[in-house]
Amino acid sequence: MGLQNKDEPQGLEEDLPQDDHGEYAEASEPAEESDSSEDEVENRNTVGDVPLKWYEDEEHIGYDIAGKKIKKQPRKSKLDSYLAQADDSKNWRKVYDEYNDEEVELTKEETKLLRRLQKGSTPHAEVDPYAPYVDWFVWDDKGHPLSNAPEPKGRFIPSKWEHKKVVKYVRAIRKGLIKFDKPIEEPKFYLLWGDDSTSTEEKRHGLSYIPPPKPKFPGHEESYNPSVEYIPTQEEINSYQLMYEEDRPKFIPKRYNSLRSVPAYDRAQKDIFDRCLDLYLCPRTRKKRINIDPESLKPKLPSRKDLKPYPQTCFLEYKGHVGAIVSITTEASGQWIASGSTDGTIRIWEVETTRCIKVFEIGEAVQHVAWNPVPELSILAVAVGTDVLLLDTGLGNEDEKQRIKDLLHVDTSAGSDDLDGTALLVSWCKHEKYEGLRLKHQKTVSEVEWHRKGDYFTTVVPGDILSVLILFLDIDIFFFRAVLIHQLSKKFTQNPFRKFHGLPVSAVFHPTRSVFFISTKKNVRVYDLLKQKVIKKLETGLRDISSIAIHPAGNLIFFVGDNVIVGSKDGKLSWFDMDLSSQPYRTLKNHPKDITNVAFHRSYPLFASCSEDCTAYVFHGMVYSDLNQNPLIVPLEILRGHKSTNDGGVLDCKFHPRQPWLFTAGADSIIKLFCHLP
Amino acid sequence: MVIMFSFLEGEDRGWSGIFGIMMEIDNEGSRQIRVRFITKLSPPLKVPDMSIAVPSNLSRMGLSETVNLLLKNGDPDCEYQPFDFVIDGELVRMSLEEFLHAKGISAEKVLEIEYINVVAPRKKEGACVHDDWVSAVDGSNPSFILTGCFDSLGRVWKSAGLCTHVLEGHSGSITSVCIINPTDVGNNTCFHLATAAKDRTLRLWKLNAAEMDTYPVKLRPFKILKGHALSVQSVSSGPSLDMICSGSWDCSIKLWDTKESGVEGNAVSVKKRKVDSDSTLHEESQLEADALSTLVGHTQCVSSVVWPERDVIYSASWDHSVKRWDIESGKDTLNLVSGKALNCIDIGGESSALIAAGGSDPILRIWDPRKPGTLAPVFQFSSHSSWITACKWHSQSWFHLLSASHDGKVMLWDLRTAWPLAVIDSHKDKVLSVDWWKGDSVISGGADSELRIFSGVNI
Repeated sequence: MGLQNKDEPQGLEEDLPQDDHGEYAEASEPAEESDSSEDEVENRNTVGDVPLKWYEDEEHIGYDIAGKKIKKQPRKSKLDSYLAQADDSKNWRKVYDEYNDEEVELTKEETKLLRRLQKGSTPHAEVDPYAPYVDWFVWDDKGHPLSNAPEPKGRFIPSKWEHKKVVKYVRAIRKGLIKFDKPIEEPKFYLLWGDDSTSTEEKRHGLSYIPPPKPKFPGHEESYNPSVEYIPTQEEINSYQLMYEEDRPKFIPKRYNSLRSVPAYDRAQKDIFDRCLDLYLCPRTRKKRINIDPESLKPKLPSRKDLKPYPQTCFLEYKGHVGAIVSITTEASGQWIASGSTDGTIRIWEVETTRCIKVFEIGEAVQHVAWNPVPELSILAVAVGTDVLLLDTGLGNEDEKQRIKDLLHVDTSAGSDDLDGTALLVSWCKHEKYEGLRLKHQKTVSEVEWHRKGDYFTTVVPGDILSVLILFLDIDIFFFRAVLIHQLSKKFTQNPFRKFHGLPVSAVFHPTRSVFFISTKKNVRVYDLLKQKVIKKLETGLRDISSIAIHPAGNLIFFVGDNVIVGSKDGKLSWFDMDLSSQPYRTLKNHPKDITNVAFHRSYPLFASCSEDCTAYVFHGMVYSDLNQNPLIVPLEILRGHKSTNDGGVLDCKFHPRQPWLFTAGADSIIKLFCHLP
Repeated sequence: MVIMFSFLEGEDRGWSGIFGIMMEIDNEGSRQIRVRFITKLSPPLKVPDMSIAVPSNLSRMGLSETVNLLLKNGDPDCEYQPFDFVIDGELVRMSLEEFLHAKGISAEKVLEIEYINVVAPRKKEGACVHDDWVSAVDGSNPSFILTGCFDSLGRVWKSAGLCTHVLEGHSGSITSVCIINPTDVGNNTCFHLATAAKDRTLRLWKLNAAEMDTYPVKLRPFKILKGHALSVQSVSSGPSLDMICSGSWDCSIKLWDTKESGVEGNAVSVKKRKVDSDSTLHEESQLEADALSTLVGHTQCVSSVVWPERDVIYSASWDHSVKRWDIESGKDTLNLVSGKALNCIDIGGESSALIAAGGSDPILRIWDPRKPGTLAPVFQFSSHSSWITACKWHSQSWFHLLSASHDGKVMLWDLRTAWPLAVIDSHKDKVLSVDWWKGDSVISGGADSELRIFSGVNI
C-alpha cells in the first residue's frame, strides 16, 4: 500500500489536468499526512545509486530535482548529538539518512514494523500467518480418483507370512504355550456398610500413620505488638512462677515496637529437644482406645438419701480419758456406754448427757471391754494385761445388784479341786478393789466377748507363743490355750479349741446361734459349739485380720445365711456370705491405713469400719431373706473428726443398740457420737 | 445514718419537722410506703392513729426510731425504747421493702404495722452455783426455783444465789423436777415437789416456803415412788394436783398418786410403812407407793412427759415418736413420728395446743396436732448447733418459747420469725434445762454446775 501510495500521487499529478490539481492536492494532502510519512517523502537528492564516497570531499551531496546543488548540512558535533540524545526522549527514533543528508524520525508504526521484522514475524500485525486453511478444491461428488491406476494384485492375495504366523500361534495355543489372561473377576460380595478406613489400614504395610497433634492457630496474642488486653500483668506473671512447670503458659505475649526488635525464640533449642524426646518415646504401635463413660462403669447403687437414717454428723463428745481409748461397749438399752483406755481407767458414760458417771481405776492399760448383753446383768468384762476382770457397774436395782453379787462371788476353796487342765488354764479369784472377779491367764489377754445369753464368755490369749511353737511340733500333746470359753455361773473354763493352726486374733459368738468364730491372721474358722467341730473355713485373702463382726440375722423373720465382715490391717474389709462361698462376697478397699475394728448395727442395715487414718466409714449392708438376692452394700458416709495421736486414729467403733448412731473411740482420748440427720 | 441524723434534727421541729424530713428523704430518691402504727400496748406507748409515709428502706431499727419519735412528740418525757414490728403476723427482720417483696404485700395501700415490746433478757442476775451439773429446773412458782442436780440433791432457791432448801434422799442423779401445785398459793405456803432420778425412783417432798433460815434447810422425802425398772427420765404434774406422771428408760409412762396416805385413807395404791431395817435414823417415816397405772406403747426410753390437761398426757421418746395418751382409756390417741430421738417436749402456744419437741439434732420442731391430714411440723427452728435438751413455752404468750442445747446456748424464739429473738450464751458448757420464772425471767441450768437467771424479759 505504501509503495502504491508513493507512486500514485506522482502518477496522478502527471495524468490529471492542472486546474484540478489544486483541489486534488488539497484532497490528497491530508490523506498523505495521515499515511505513513516515509513513503511519501521523495528523495530530494537525485544522484542515483552511486557511491556516496564520491561526494565525500564535495560541499554538496548531490542535486535536487531542479539540478541545483544540495548543500551539505553542518555536521553535528558528538557532544551535540549526545545532548540531543539526552534531552530529546524521541531521539532514539531519529535516523540519519546519509543519502539525503538529513535526519529522519521514524514513526511509531515504523518502529513496530521494525520490531516485528527483528522478531522474524510478519511485518504487519494484520497478517495472520496461521489463518484456517480454506480448501480451494471441493472433492465432494467428484466421481473419479486423482489416479486412475488399477490396484496391484498383491493387495488381493492373503499374506503367506501372516498365514505362517497365525498357524504358529494356533499351534502354540493348542499346545497351551500361550495362556490368555483370565478375565478380572469382579467381587461378588462387598461390604455395603463397610468402613473404608479399616480396609485401607489392613492393606497398609509397615508403620501405621499416627497423625500429629493439630497445632493451635496463632492468635492475636502472638502478634509482635498485641493489644494491651493480651499482655499479662506483673501479678499474673508472678503467679506463673508459682505454677508447675507443665502448667505454665508456654508463651507470654510481649509488645515490641517493630518486628525487627523481636528477639529469636529462646526456647527453640529446648522445643526441638523435647520434640525429639517425644518422637523417641513415641509408641510404634497405635493403641486402640475405647471411650467408655466412667459413670457407666459404676454399679447402680441406690441413692444415699433413700438409705437414711445412718450416722452423719458428730454432735456429742465424751471427754475425760487421758490416754488413747482402746475399746468401747454399749449397754443393751443404749443408755450407757463404757470405755477402756490405755490410761488404766474404765469409764461409764451416760449417752444422752455425755456425763461420766463412774470410773474404775485399774492401773493397767485396758485391752478390751465388753458389756454383758443381758439387760439385767450389767456386768463389764474387761481384758487387762493377763487378767480378765468382771466388774459390777452398779447400774442395776437392788435385786439385780444382789444377783450380780452372787454371780461374782467365788469360793477360794473351790479353785483347788478343779480339773487339772483348767487349773492350769485360768484361776478364778476375787478382785479386791471393785468386788468383782478376776481371771488370771498365763499370757496377755487381748479380747473378751460375751455370749448372747450372758453366761458364757470367751477370751483370746494370742500371746501364748510358746504354746503355738510347740503346736507345730506335736499338736496332741500340749494344750493350746489361745481361745478359752468361760462360764460365769459355774466359774468354769473350757478349752475346746486345742487343734489349731495360726495365731488367733479374735473370737466371737454368733449373735443368735451356737456357732463360734475364730479368726487367725489369715482366715476365719467357724465352729459349731454343739457338735464341737469346724463347719467352715473362710479364706479371706487378707494378710492381717484385725477384727470380725457377725451380722445379727436374728431380727429377721426368715432364716438368713450368716454374713460376716472381716477387717484387716492392710485396710481391706471383706464381706462373707457364708451360704454363697467361703471366698469373700465383696472386698472393700477404703482405708489407707489399718482397719482397727468393724461393727454391725443390731437392727438397722448398717455396718461400719474404723481405721488408724482417723476416719470411720459407714456402709449400708442389706441382707435379704431371698436366697437369690445377694447382699446390697452401699458406702454411705466417711466420718471424720478424730485427730491422729501417736499414730493412732480411731481405735474402736460401736453402734448404738437402738438408734442409728455410731460411737467412735479415738487415740485422741475422745469418744464421739455420730448421729443421723433428717 | 442520714435518716437518723435528720431525725435528731427533727426533735426540735415537731410535726412539721417530721414531714419535712420525710420530704427530704423523698427527695433523696427512695420509695415511700404509707404506714399506720397500731399497738396493743398501754396508752403512754400509743402513737396517734394516723398514717404517715416512711421510706421503704427502713428496717426494724429505723421503724423503732420513727415510733420513738412519734411517742416523743406526744409525750416529751417518754424514754427511748426499742420495739419489734409485726406485719401480717410476722416479725420484721429485714428492710420494709424486702419484707413486702418477700411476702408479696402491695406497697400501694396503707400498711398496718403493729409494734410490740422487744422480748429479750435485759438483766443478768447472779448465778446459783451447784456442786454438780444442773439437770433440771422448774420455775413454775414465782416465789422459788426448784433445781435438780447430778449430785442427787434437789435444791430450792429463793433468788439468785440464795438456796433455802436442800432435798436429800435420792441415791442417783436427779433427772427431772416439778412443782406439783405451783399456783396453789392461797394462804398456805406448803408446796409439794416431785423429783425423778436415775435410781429408778421418784420422790415427793413437802416444802414450807415460809420457813426461812440462815442455812439451807434439809428436807426428807415424804413419799418414795418405786416401780420403774430403769432410770426415770421425766416427771410432770397435771392439773389434778394429786397425780403425777413419769417417763422412764423402761419405755413406760407411769401415773402416781401424790396424796399422803395418812390423810387419805382410801388410797387406791398399795401403801406400806417402810420398816426401817437399816439402822439409819429416820426422824419421819417415809411412804412407799406403787404406780397407779402404766401407759405402755413406746418402744424406747420415754425421755419427756407433759401433762397439760386433765386427762391428756403427751410424751416424747427415743423411739422417735411423740404420743398423746388418754388417761381414761390408757391408749395413745396421737402418734407423731419425727425421725429423731427426742429429748424434750412441751405443750403451749396458741390455745395450748402446739407441741414443741427437740432431740438428737439441732432442730426444734413444732407440731400443730389440730391440723388435719398432715403430721409434718409447722415450724422448724434450726439455729442451734447440737442436741436440744430442753424446750419450754411461755405460759402466757402464744408465741414465745425457750430452747436449750448441748452447744451451751439458750435461745428465745418467737413463732412469728425464724430467727431467735435472743441467744443467751453465758453457759460455759452444755445447757441441760431451761424454764421461765415469774413470767419475765429465763432460768437455765447446765453442765457448768450453775443455774443462771436472766430477768427483764418483757412479754
